[in-house]
Amino acid sequence: MGGYGDVQMIDDKGLRMDGRGPGDLREITIETGVVPVADGSCRMTWGTNEAIVAVYGPMEAHPRKIQRQDRAVLDVHYNMAPFSTTDRMRPGFNRRSREISKVTKDALESVVLLELYPRSKIRISIEIISAEAGTRCVGLTAASVALADAGIPMTDMVVSVASGKINDVVVCDLNKEEDNYGEADLPMGILPNSGDLVFLQMDGDLSQEEFKQAWNYNMEASNAVHKQMIEALKGDANQ
Amino acid sequence: MTIPLVPNLLRAHLAELADNDSRIDGRDRWQGRETQVEVGVLPRAEGSARVQMGDTIVFAGVKFQVMQPYPDRPNEGGLMCSAEVRPIAGRNWETGPPSPESIELGRVVDRGIRESGCIDVKSLCIIPGEKAWQVILDLFAISDDGNLFDAFALAGIAALRSAVVPAERFEVGDDAPLGVSKTPIMCSYHKVGGRFVYDACHREELGGDERIHITLGDNGNVHSLQKGLKGIFSTEEFDEIMGHALSRTSELRDLIN
Repeated sequence: MGGYGDVQMIDDKGLRMDGRGPGDLREITIETGVVPVADGSCRMTWGTNEAIVAVYGPMEAHPRKIQRQDRAVLDVHYNMAPFSTTDRMRPGFNRRSREISKVTKDALESVVLLELYPRSKIRISIEIISAEAGTRCVGLTAASVALADAGIPMTDMVVSVASGKINDVVVCDLNKEEDNYGEADLPMGILPNSGDLVFLQMDGDLSQEEFKQAWNYNMEASNAVHKQMIEALKGDANQ
Repeated sequence: MTIPLVPNLLRAHLAELADNDSRIDGRDRWQGRETQVEVGVLPRAEGSARVQMGDTIVFAGVKFQVMQPYPDRPNEGGLMCSAEVRPIAGRNWETGPPSPESIELGRVVDRGIRESGCIDVKSLCIIPGEKAWQVILDLFAISDDGNLFDAFALAGIAALRSAVVPAERFEVGDDAPLGVSKTPIMCSYHKVGGRFVYDACHREELGGDERIHITLGDNGNVHSLQKGLKGIFSTEEFDEIMGHALSRTSELRDLIN
């Protein structure tokens, strides 16, 4: 969190700079089948975030040392394209993208029925084409849609949303300015059918009450996003 | 990139198709796939394009940086072109340092654009000897069903032509379109089943031999050539390809002009 604190991001009517109320999400669109050569894929726009995810597999896991005799392994790559940010992003792995790849893999391995595919690998490539704020949430959510599009069995999809705090007000789904100058950020990965969690991070400063409010915003928002995910997958099935 | 297995059956099948003058996806020998170009598709880039040729999909994004001019060319800015093919684009592409294949891709596209002189590097100078614009063209593959070269080159020039120099953000003047005076276009040919075809798909690349890339400018001037992979070709074969490239590049130029 930047925590500059002196940037006014909520007006006297309680509206945010982009006109949203505290609990409102940015606009979201979801499309499947966008990478024709992949086994499953998804394009998700969320505000001016855009993620494209492709799923390949299950396929042979190589090198052999990564194979597991009793289950499949997930090979997750989260990456930001060089033109996805205001200042050009130098290509290649960095510590941030490695960490996000790892926590995304940990979240997805909690829902994919890995034991159905021993000794194999499922590759999930998350490419952020345009970044605004909350790209890890967009990437994880789009990845679970792409897995469903690929027909990979899962106990549930993962919906990831973040809430935070700006000018001492708890708000849902931070945009770029709010993320830069805000005081806290709480991204969560939620299983919409049970309300359980598979992904959780937080940084900043929240009181117990504020934390509870942010948590509840995420839970509510996940239901709305989940409906859109189902619609996108149903639309695909009807074609 | 992992070395894909080349099935002998595929090679035999491609040779048989060549004997009957047909192709694995039913196209004519010189027929390209349906090609779409969209510009202004990336909100964070100063210029951008998305190109789809059949099932091959790529993006090109233009970013700007302020650099110090090279001491021997104090009145010139620079152009940098890099291509990335990440695992999203196909099952044979892997992560890691750039593969020789993706480096070749970036360099061949770079030469075609640079040597055409479409960007006046002197116009990129802000303060001689101190500040100049570096134009960075990033080519990014989303779906590789063959012929990334032509898709990258087309997306690259389309993105450059739509680019706006973000001078206000860097506090060095007013925003203005990047002057791109020419339109170099690349056409690529693969030897498949013993004869050259235009715009090979992935299976033709997999079971084919050498490839030739030709970049032509607005007047048909030749700006870059590259022969890739193992194989031998004759002057007659090359003349035939060049004849096709002359007409095809002008068709493709109409798509972005």
